[in-house]
Amino acid sequence: MKHRGLLTGLLISFVLVTFTWTPLIAAEQKGTLVIALDTLGGQNLDPILETRASHAHFQAPVFDSLVGFDFEKGGIGPGVAERWELAKDGLSWTFYLRKGQRWHNGDPLTAHDVKFSLERTMSKESVASRSAALRRNVKSIEVIDDLTVRVNTKGVQVHFPASMSRAVFQEGQMMPKKYIEKVGVAEFRRKPIGSGPWKIVKSVPGDRVEYEAVDYPHWRGTPKFKRMTILLVPEESTRVAMVRTGEAAIASISPESLKEVKSAKLKVVSVPSTMQAVYYFWGTYRDDQKNNPIADKRVREALSLAIDRKQIIDHVMNGEARWPMPFATFGYSVDMDTKKWRKWSRKALRYDPARAKELLTEAGYPNGFDLKFANTALPGTPYMVQIGLAVADFWSKIGVKVKYKHYEWGAFRALRRGQEKLRGGASMYRTAGRPVAVARYMSGFHSKSLSHLFGNTKGDKNICPALCKEFNSLHKLVVAEQDDATRTKNTNRMIKLVADSWVAVPILEGMGYWAVNPKKVGAFKPIPGRHEFGDVFERMPLPGQMAWK
Amino acid sequence: MRRYILQRLWQGVILLALVTTIVFFLGRLTGNPVDLMLPEDATEEDRTALIETLGLDAPMYKQFGIFVVNVLQGDLGVSHRYRRPVVEIFFSRLPNTLKIVPAAMILAMIMAIPLGIVSAVRRGSMIDRVSGTIAVLGIATPNFWLGILLIYVFSVQLGWLPSARMGTPLHYVLPTITLGTFLVAGFMRLIRSSMLDILDSEFVKLARIKGLSETTVVWKHCLRNALIPVLTLWGVFMGGLVTGAIVTETVFAWPGIGRLTFEAVIFRDYPLLQAVIIMDAVLILLINLMVDILYAYIDPRIRLAE
Repeated sequence: MKHRGLLTGLLISFVLVTFTWTPLIAAEQKGTLVIALDTLGGQNLDPILETRASHAHFQAPVFDSLVGFDFEKGGIGPGVAERWELAKDGLSWTFYLRKGQRWHNGDPLTAHDVKFSLERTMSKESVASRSAALRRNVKSIEVIDDLTVRVNTKGVQVHFPASMSRAVFQEGQMMPKKYIEKVGVAEFRRKPIGSGPWKIVKSVPGDRVEYEAVDYPHWRGTPKFKRMTILLVPEESTRVAMVRTGEAAIASISPESLKEVKSAKLKVVSVPSTMQAVYYFWGTYRDDQKNNPIADKRVREALSLAIDRKQIIDHVMNGEARWPMPFATFGYSVDMDTKKWRKWSRKALRYDPARAKELLTEAGYPNGFDLKFANTALPGTPYMVQIGLAVADFWSKIGVKVKYKHYEWGAFRALRRGQEKLRGGASMYRTAGRPVAVARYMSGFHSKSLSHLFGNTKGDKNICPALCKEFNSLHKLVVAEQDDATRTKNTNRMIKLVADSWVAVPILEGMGYWAVNPKKVGAFKPIPGRHEFGDVFERMPLPGQMAWK
Repeated sequence: MRRYILQRLWQGVILLALVTTIVFFLGRLTGNPVDLMLPEDATEEDRTALIETLGLDAPMYKQFGIFVVNVLQGDLGVSHRYRRPVVEIFFSRLPNTLKIVPAAMILAMIMAIPLGIVSAVRRGSMIDRVSGTIAVLGIATPNFWLGILLIYVFSVQLGWLPSARMGTPLHYVLPTITLGTFLVAGFMRLIRSSMLDILDSEFVKLARIKGLSETTVVWKHCLRNALIPVLTLWGVFMGGLVTGAIVTETVFAWPGIGRLTFEAVIFRDYPLLQAVIIMDAVLILLINLMVDILYAYIDPRIRLAE
């Protein structure tokens, strides 16, 4: 009898909470959050049809990711899966899903959806950026039960969970199996549903995407705004004007607009560690370049010492950039001794033109030399051109005669594949902020990679000097190592190998910049390293709910 | 007249075939769209996979053959970037451009006709000089600068008008002025010079001798004749505006076909670029054909020459 009373009480409480919670949340949600962006990519609402990062603006509000973010530190954290573990043999990852997740049509989100989503992303139809990588790395996917899914990998893939997070790529986005099978792919693309905190209302290609907040608690945060509109406004001065007039609450901006935004008494939200500006030296390992000054490590170090990074940060980036860490590493990078490397970079990347001249003299180039320098800017980072110009200017000051040439990114990328025109020279580059540095090291330095800055063993090529061999074996150790401490030790060795080579040299750590109208939205914190706000919108307070400092 | 129209249509078909071929090959000379679609650390395998998915792995002559066969069947392909049929994308954007261009044209005509006439009638006067200055400024002022300036003054400082985007009638004001200013200058100068020629002609002298009032001479007899060359310019401008309002559409976040063309070029979206240029060419041909017909209708000398 006693238990029956307790059970009845619990049941009544459950019903009351369930039926009163939703109206309560809905009543508190107000207004429309308007965001003006420079790009909406292809504005495809099917996750397998977008290739670049703009999906993290407009798809992320709707689609949850298998692995999420660490909102405080940056990098990866719980997502649709609240935890994951590597099998003892290292050949499979098991993901444990949160309970009670649902799609926008009310269906529960289960392990079957996870399997379906990953298989759909791996399909031939998918143009998702790393679908080929997923096909290469995944052997099979098994549903253990409704809340557990196992991914069997081809070989040990210690960083597999990171690739399932928007902190890295979009491959982990979840799609509703039952719904897609029921309505078909065409209808899903027309009326997509996800499990995220925002539902799609309307998408007008080339203009905007409209959303409505879910009216139930969501693990990513329940939206405070009732509606949200993401506008495509390509011209930056127009975006700033829209924030000034209140037509938009938030707009993406570049460092050039920072002064105007600040003087208009708007707020600037800078997202730390979104990218690192670097430069590369191409083909230094080749026999046909052995007489090229840049084949000498002392010369490469001298060129780094000639750069006054603080000046570039203060004047090109208007103070809104940071001192860099070693190549492709950030404060939130995993498997490395962050403190040690921060200290290293302060000293090693210092401005010391006198020492630079000494090194050049030691190397036999007291009067400088001719250097080819290809400047380029990746999409979304036009200020890279100015950074490149500043670097060229600093090199000229120590006597280097820089033969500067600017390339559009697509053209530069084609040059990078063949490398003939880049060989024996330097070029600008940018690495996006990612928590796992080893993938960047692979694509930059492995002899089978696209850039292969230490050697080339692609196809019928077989040029791999000692540095190249050492890197390849270290890389192999890092990606397959299951023990955290040993992996960290080897990652530190790999970082040191690259840092000491002076082949890829960081210039500064960039930020993502946003102009915010404080009358339209309350104070919020971005996710370190994630320029896009697709995973932040739901945590943005209404104006007045959280005061701006 | 029918023979004249058929002849123009035939020339149009030849021109379209030429444009299609040139666009197909020139577009591909700019590089591979995959290089702009993939993230910077994508592997060679990722690249190969995407090239295959987009059907760009076949030799160029084969791609061209497939393209021509598809075009003849009315299929211009699917956009690499938007993953939707390009014709659907084009026609979803065209109405937006067609909303702004006629407004700019009307604004230009309302301002250019009286200014052009007064400048011609009062040649060398202060009004003529002021009109000349307006014309020079109109031609010399870059559209993007004017657009941004208008936004700053009327939206940011005065708060009278919205900064950008489509919506209420107020949203049309600034883009229309921006687009129309350039046209005012061109039309005004043409009307002025055309009027000056006509004011000196024999039939005008005769009209004056007959004792017609100056208003009737100028506004009825002279203007009608002065507008004939304007019609040709109108056709050229109209075609150019429909297809080339890139700057205005970008500054005011107006989702028209000018911006679509720009996006197709910078993202190397071959199918979209091909479709946009082919459709633009068709539009320009149609507009010019209409102008030619109208021209022949208005000016009997053309009909007689036929």
